[in-house]
Amino acid sequence: MKLPSLLLTVITMLVLASPAVAQKVPGVTDTEIVVGLTTPLSGPAAAWGNTAVAMEAWARHVNDQGGINGRKLKVVMKDDGYNPGRAVANLKEMKDSIFMNVGLLGSAILQAAKDDIAEYKLPVINPYGNPAIWARQPREKLRYVFVAYTDYLDEGEYLLRHAVEKLGAKKVAVFHQNDEYGKGGLEGVNRGVKALGGKVTLAGAVSYELSDRELGTHALKLKDSGADVVILYPTITHGANVIKEMAKAGYRPKLVASFPLGDYLIMYRLLGELWEGAHFNILSGGAIANDPAGKAALDIVLKYEPKLKGKENTALAGVAPMILAVEGLKKAGRNLTRESYVEAMESIKNFTAMGLSPAGITFGPNRRHGLNAVRTLRAVKAADNSYAEVAPAQVFPPHF
Amino acid sequence: MDLVESYAEDLSFARKRVTRVLLGLVGAACVVLPWIAAEYVVFIATLIALYSIGVMGQNILIGYTGQISFGQAGFLAIGAFAFGHARGWGAPFLLALAAAGVAAALAGVVVGFPSLRLKGPYLAIATLGFGVAVYQIFVNWETLSGGRAGLAIPKLQSILGLPAATSTYYVYVLLLAAFTLATSNLVSSYVGRALIAIRDSDIAAEVNGVNLTRYKLLAFGVSSFYTGVHGALYAQVLGHIEPQIFNILESITLFVAVIIGGIASIEGSILGAAFVLLVPKVFADFREMVPVVYGVVILIVLIFEPLGLYGRWLKTRLYFQLWPFR
Repeated sequence: MKLPSLLLTVITMLVLASPAVAQKVPGVTDTEIVVGLTTPLSGPAAAWGNTAVAMEAWARHVNDQGGINGRKLKVVMKDDGYNPGRAVANLKEMKDSIFMNVGLLGSAILQAAKDDIAEYKLPVINPYGNPAIWARQPREKLRYVFVAYTDYLDEGEYLLRHAVEKLGAKKVAVFHQNDEYGKGGLEGVNRGVKALGGKVTLAGAVSYELSDRELGTHALKLKDSGADVVILYPTITHGANVIKEMAKAGYRPKLVASFPLGDYLIMYRLLGELWEGAHFNILSGGAIANDPAGKAALDIVLKYEPKLKGKENTALAGVAPMILAVEGLKKAGRNLTRESYVEAMESIKNFTAMGLSPAGITFGPNRRHGLNAVRTLRAVKAADNSYAEVAPAQVFPPHF
Repeated sequence: MDLVESYAEDLSFARKRVTRVLLGLVGAACVVLPWIAAEYVVFIATLIALYSIGVMGQNILIGYTGQISFGQAGFLAIGAFAFGHARGWGAPFLLALAAAGVAAALAGVVVGFPSLRLKGPYLAIATLGFGVAVYQIFVNWETLSGGRAGLAIPKLQSILGLPAATSTYYVYVLLLAAFTLATSNLVSSYVGRALIAIRDSDIAAEVNGVNLTRYKLLAFGVSSFYTGVHGALYAQVLGHIEPQIFNILESITLFVAVIIGGIASIEGSILGAAFVLLVPKVFADFREMVPVVYGVVILIVLIFEPLGLYGRWLKTRLYFQLWPFR
């Protein structure tokens, strides 16, 4: 071999053997870990985009505390307008430059992205959407997904049982959004009605569309059902509207609400005394703004992102998954790869995310549904925004 | 001098050498794109290709025939779900695609009947009602929409051992080329002239022997076929569909693409599709300001280019034709 060829061979071997080339991990440098978020900052679900804003605020806090194993977090956030095509495009764009994603949002988006995530080997922490989507995925495609989100059917059945056991419901009606979320809740309620075998009847199910604004007829249908308890599966706006319309029609049933109505501060602001006495769930059973753990987290988040004021409970729904993601990064150590991160996440047991989670989040090699829980509160008095805990956190079996 | 000397010449797709050269360059760029660009760029190009087909269809109806329609979301949904079911039953991709187009076209003909009596805003409202009705049907008829879980679409088989994204891209670009050629032939033929005559004055068109019923229904049918194919291709790319994807926003997006790209223009249809996809994507880092930026960009384009992006292309072409004398 001639000298130039020999030199070239040696140089090539040295370059290929260098750690920088051999161990290049997407989104990880010596000083940074890049977290990529695609979220609806515009469009019909823009309010939920505040979860991502809160995640970014928490990342800044983590950085000010010294970062994780010598690296700082860098958050890249892109708007997807709640559009599956745009969300998939954002993920494709970011996949080689980010280490992980947190809080991918929207069932349609999860459906469109679920196979890509497996193909990219991209860790995705706590996607917000029906966990049944992941339960239907083949086991080998779940390796990089870690979920701590309540199953819609489980929540629906629980709300029905709660209505019967705590409120003495004999006839219930369901007001629900006409989509996967609302129908999932209705299916859960139906499952509960069957399970209780005659103790309670489903007197009616009234659906609405996201584009509906006038809900007077919906309220009248609910009134005609004669239900003593109405179970609500709407957005905040539609929930508040239908409750007002029912009151106008002289119909004041007991109210039991799914987690989107869990921001009691907003509900009090919209409904005042009409919200008093309502029983409502909290997303994933997490802490709320008035809980000590919630207050502690909000003190930090609002310092970094004051515009989240007034959206405290949505912010907390974003902070908890970020704390979970950070815990995995800490456990993975300095030698961070996507595989080492997955193993670190799998080692998380009974993690409560600084008290924001109602029960321990546990993952494992065969467990990706880390927590399936709800927590129910009762609105007490509008004048002082007070509430009471009516049932301890309910933890359902994980689904996958 | 740009003199057309025969009907065959008038019908030809690319009459001048410079046009053929430019088309060749665009074609070459389309071929090499997947080999030099990142995967997400190829994905966005795939989206532009499929949207272009839908926008072209709407341009046949809105731009060439002058029939304002807001029912696009309905045709998209019909195409997507027809395609999804056909694929689920084991139909090959192209057959399912044809089924999607035909299903949407049949619906288009039905919706076209009001167009015989209605004009302008009245027709717009009628078609809007159709879009909403289709949405409701799919939401509430679970056999059609796949129920709460939606409808999963089997993946497209990769061709020639290419990566899946590259393979899909080439198939979609070829389909766009085929639809572009078909549209060009359609609007250059007597059918196209009949549609344009209806747009300019339906009474005058009828006096001159254009059968309004036939051509208006044809315009609705053809444009719906395109939109149905658009819906099917979108469904294939996403791999999963549910009715919520085909909401009123999709109708508005297609309408904006027609106007921004340039009314009654094939090139404008592609430019319009690229615009509605690229502007939100390019400005995605602007976060909650994306809709504001999007709206402002639309305003700027319409203020400075009332003919849309195609107008800018026309002016650029004219400039080079006259250069250096201007």
